[in-house]
This record gives sequence, structure tokens and C-alpha cells, in this order.
Amino acid sequence: AELYCSLPSPKNVHFESKNLKNILDWSPPEGLGEGVLYKVKYLIYGIGKWIKKSECKDISRTWCDLSNETYNHEDQYYASVKAFFSGNCSRWTETARFNPLTDTKIDPPAVTVSSTEKSISIVLTAPEKWKRTPEEESVSLYQVYSGLQYNVSVLNKKTKKRWVFSIKNNTLVVPRLESNTVYCVNVQTYVTTPLLLSGFSKECCIATLKD
Amino acid sequence: TGNKILRFGPCMISMNVNEIRASFTAIKATIQAKDAIRTISILSYPYSLHNFNVDRCCIIHHLLRFYVDKVFKHCETEDSHVNRKISSIANSFLSIKKKFRQCNEQNVCDCGEEAIEKYKQILTNYGQLNITSAAMKSLGELDILLDWMEKA
Repeated sequence: AELYCSLPSPKNVHFESKNLKNILDWSPPEGLGEGVLYKVKYLIYGIGKWIKKSECKDISRTWCDLSNETYNHEDQYYASVKAFFSGNCSRWTETARFNPLTDTKIDPPAVTVSSTEKSISIVLTAPEKWKRTPEEESVSLYQVYSGLQYNVSVLNKKTKKRWVFSIKNNTLVVPRLESNTVYCVNVQTYVTTPLLLSGFSKECCIATLKD
Repeated sequence: TGNKILRFGPCMISMNVNEIRASFTAIKATIQAKDAIRTISILSYPYSLHNFNVDRCCIIHHLLRFYVDKVFKHCETEDSHVNRKISSIANSFLSIKKKFRQCNEQNVCDCGEEAIEKYKQILTNYGQLNITSAAMKSLGELDILLDWMEKA
């Protein structure tokens, strides 16, 4: 057991979460970098028993994947990191309480576009929750967040005219367009509460058919 | 305006959850940092509030009263900004509680055994701590309550 630790502590210990894939991340202690080793523990709030993360014992990297341990997004968690360097150690440094539901970031949806002469059809697929194994059944973030919706931007490349739609379901048909014209689509995932906003998807362009 | 209609059994209540969440997010780190007890959760122990999707009307009825009567009034801090946010949340809860009373007068909120047992457990968890600590911990768990309230 460590009797007395006088090493400076790891800094900025926090969860970096995307689509409920939850990575513990931190910065090395002040003035140290190479040669520092770390160990990690976590706990479920309300149960409060610290559990060591064996795969992150004596590691030199400054992150640890705790997605599996924090998979239940209806629970809340704390995690903590301790540093070791040439026989000395630091105190444990904890995260703030981590609520996966409110503290995660979300991706834009997958976008598929098709066209007719006078319209374009947009089909969106919500990002999925992180999966423990590829075989595991996918859980759409649509199932996790009842308030999930999309902001769809459609740009007429010729006239530079832009429309923005806010939709809840995952399909949108934009009618009364010009034929033989290129339209470009960007989409953003938007959860009303807790308030979560993704970046915009990559621009997806398509031409309406000739008449 | 951000008003949203949430369903609790027979009662459909319009409330601005975004506003409550924004106020809570502004003080969450400060409030939760005051709560060093990790082994007790008022709302989540022994079973997550999220497990209770039956008798939502009964549970929300009791929890609104719990927060108004046992939590907000015991959460004074040394920070006036935090106190203002707590007051804003408390006022939102008072308004929701009033709307709920109107619905409750017309509809019977079923209180099954599990819901009653859950509320008793919440009071037991609350009773394990002194009032200020219990109130501060309950306030720090407001996002758990809001997450549950918003589940479809």
C-alpha cells in the first residue's frame, strides 16, 4: 500500500463521451510526462464501492476506456486516476459525477439522398449507442432520447438559396424544386432535453433529374 | 418557448424542462461537489428510478412534494448565484405541482405497492443523512429525476 504520496496529481480528469462510448481522459501531472504510470478505478454512484480497472493498471497512456463499466446510461459514475513515478505516487484525482445521458456528445445521422425531376428525398439514420461487441444488437440513440430530432439544411447550389427543416421522423421529401439542378444536404442531430447538438453531417449533394 | 408536455399516467403536464435543466446544469458541479457521500443515492438506491415506469403519476406526485417540502428550502448556499438558480428551479416545481394538483383532482393517481415502496425507500435514504446533506444530495440528483420524467 502507498504510505505517503507527494507526486503532483494528474490533471483535468474527466470523461470524454461520444454516443455513450465513455473514455476516461486526463493530463500528466505538472512537470512530468515520460515515464509516469497510472492506475484507474471507478464507482457507480449510490453503490459507492471503488472498483479497480485492471486493464488500466500501470499504463503510460493518459486515457482509459470505461465504456463497458459505464454501459448502463441510467446510472451515474465517478472515476479516479493515480500517478506513479520513480517510486513516488500522487493522490487519487476524481472526475465530477458523470451522467452518460446528459454528458455525452452525439454524432450527426447517416444521410441518404435520392432525387426525381422536381424533388429530393432524404433518409436519415440516427447514430447508434456504443456497442460492447459487434454482434450485440444495435441501440439507436432514437430509442435512448425521446426528444431526438434533426435539423436539415438543403442548399440550391446554383441560386445559393437554402432551406432549413426541423423534423422528428427520419425521412423528408423536399418538393417543387428545379429540375437538372444540384442540391446539397447537411443534417444535424438535435436532442431537445437534455440539450444535445451534434455537428453537421458531411455535405451530401445530388442533382434533380432533367425534365 | 421550450414547453414540453410530459405524460404521467392520466396526467399530461406542460413544463419547460429545458429551463429547469439549464438552471441545474449551471449549478450541478457546485452542488455535487458538496456531496462527498458516494455510497448513498436518494433516488437511485437500491433500484434506479428508471426501473419505475408504472404508477408514474403516483411517483411524480410524491416527488414534486418531496422536492418542494424537503429539498429546496434546505439548500441555502454561500453563493448568491447558486441560490438564485435554486429558487428558479423551486419556482418551476411549484408551478408544476400546481398544474398537477388540478389534474389530480379530476383523475385518481394509482399508487401501487411498488410505487409506495419506492417512495418509502427514498424517504429512508433521505433519513440516513442530516437534513442539509440529504437536501443537497437530493438537489444534486435532479438530473436523475429530469431524465426519468422525460422518458417516453
